[in-house]
Amino acid sequence: MAHGTLPVSQEVMESVRDKIRRGLLPQWAFSDPGIYQAELEKIFYKTWQFLGHTSEIPKSGDFVTRWMVHDPVLLLRDTNGEIQAYLNSCSHRGAPVCIEDCGNRKTFTCPYHGWTYDSKGELIGIVAGNKVYGQEMDRSQWALRKIPRIASYHGMIFGCMDPDAPSLEEFLGDLKWYLDILLARTDGGMEVRGVPHRWIIPTNWKISSDNFGGDPYHTAMTHRSAVELGIAPQDPLFASYGHQVVLDHGHGVNMITAAPGLKMPPYQGLPESLWPMFERNLTAEQRAVFKNLVVSVGTCFPNLSWVSPMHGTGGPGSPLTTFVNFRVWRPLAADKIEVWSWVMVDKDAPEEFKQESYLSYIGSFGPAGTLEQDDCEIWTRVVEHSRGYMAQNKDISYNNVLNYLMGLDRVQPVTDWPGPGVAYPTCYLDAISRSFYERWAEMLLA
Amino acid sequence: MSTVSATNVTYGDVVRLLFQEAACLDRRDLDGWLAMLADDVVYRMPLRITKDPRTGSDIVEGMTFFEETKVSLRTRVERLKTTSAWAEMPPTRTRHFISNILVDDGPEPDTLAVTSSFLVLRSRRDSEAVEQVFGERQDVWRKSDEGWKLVRRTIYPDQTTLTVLNLSMFI
Repeated sequence: MAHGTLPVSQEVMESVRDKIRRGLLPQWAFSDPGIYQAELEKIFYKTWQFLGHTSEIPKSGDFVTRWMVHDPVLLLRDTNGEIQAYLNSCSHRGAPVCIEDCGNRKTFTCPYHGWTYDSKGELIGIVAGNKVYGQEMDRSQWALRKIPRIASYHGMIFGCMDPDAPSLEEFLGDLKWYLDILLARTDGGMEVRGVPHRWIIPTNWKISSDNFGGDPYHTAMTHRSAVELGIAPQDPLFASYGHQVVLDHGHGVNMITAAPGLKMPPYQGLPESLWPMFERNLTAEQRAVFKNLVVSVGTCFPNLSWVSPMHGTGGPGSPLTTFVNFRVWRPLAADKIEVWSWVMVDKDAPEEFKQESYLSYIGSFGPAGTLEQDDCEIWTRVVEHSRGYMAQNKDISYNNVLNYLMGLDRVQPVTDWPGPGVAYPTCYLDAISRSFYERWAEMLLA
Repeated sequence: MSTVSATNVTYGDVVRLLFQEAACLDRRDLDGWLAMLADDVVYRMPLRITKDPRTGSDIVEGMTFFEETKVSLRTRVERLKTTSAWAEMPPTRTRHFISNILVDDGPEPDTLAVTSSFLVLRSRRDSEAVEQVFGERQDVWRKSDEGWKLVRRTIYPDQTTLTVLNLSMFI
């Protein structure tokens, strides 16, 4: 397998990058297996990947098993309380040292030959060790392999395969300002409820990443059933109000507000007991944006997305409750992803709110969510219908490019946005999508 | 055929009840299905995880795929009846295979505790893929003047990672 080699010439890829700047994307980006292989090496092994939240492993010995695309990861809190991430594959013959999803352990014994490791990754036990390997084998050479980089930001733990990658904080860049509004607004920070939802969707990772990152426009049609039901507003522009903010490194966020004149509770209806904490933990500029926020939805390039909407589950007129949902679109193939979806809530929130927030999430997102159901189905249809000759034709002509033209040269950034990034005065805009795919093309070209 | 003591119902009666319910779902008679649910129904589907069995249950009760009341289930059904619930427009085809039915006295008078295995197969559009979800259901059914009503259903999937792309159907 030609890992990392592009299935198109450098010249064609450069023209793809130039086209996406002008709002055109070749449809083969969604389904070409060669592009997928190149993405693994040039994008996924170079960027920070979300692994889990500190609240999932609060105590020494707590562990979860995760995946960085195709690399198995054992993420744990060691005996010193430090977070560690190892390749979950025995240094002896490669079997996983742990196949449980989560738990608490002091040691991990490989079931193949019995090599045992401690929470520092050290090889501390070998069956019949001295008799078969003698004193000469240096056990310290055969520790669990560490994930090259690991770092966390407000409880969000990331790993990176590239030892030379910029730091996590550098990678997140201006996105931190917007993440803080979700993750760092209350004194105690966020906690994950239960375990993540996991399910398989036969689609391409970019479709879901770009949908959350740059596509509030889809809500009017994809989620029209909510309009028909009277849960979502009739106004087809309802998800356009607010600002789309293009951030560096391919990240993007939509800070959606209510339609002009429509009164919504401040701070997404979060309990008033938390408001003094917003004063303490957020800047005046962040609070100014947060106060009018209805939905925060975006993507941290390449494949970590979030949505924090206000949603009701009881039908028309039922109260709207907000939640914070992060998800990783783990690519399994060009046409297959595994979704990992975590719901989080402020630790300091009243128990009653935590329960309402969870119910709001279950009703709208996750595989049974009334909004998510339709997204998954349509993303699947896109990939199924992008495999043919016309879609795969690598001549970048108008016959096989898709339309990312919305707002190009037409919508100008605002000058008075209080946050970082380039903010546009509408969320029905392909500015983030163009930036996302430009970053994608640049990384493939690198 | 033996009867369950408290309710004087035969095993065959219970089997017929579950098959009637499955038929409602597979024939898309969702109003008929709702009518089989008690107004105070609690309908849940917790997550399954892989873990060391010595450290407790592999069911995570605190996180679910479904955490429903009659009101929220009715909202789901009403949504599916719109013209734009794309997951089911055009409708998928499902087949609910219900088996391994065990019947016992329920926790309250006039109730039955019914455990069953389920295998739901689904076909979408012209896709060659056969989607499936399977596991166990633990029900409580209550006798009422309008027949038996489902009071509680807990659905335990056998998969930790669902291979259905969504749960736009009921189990």
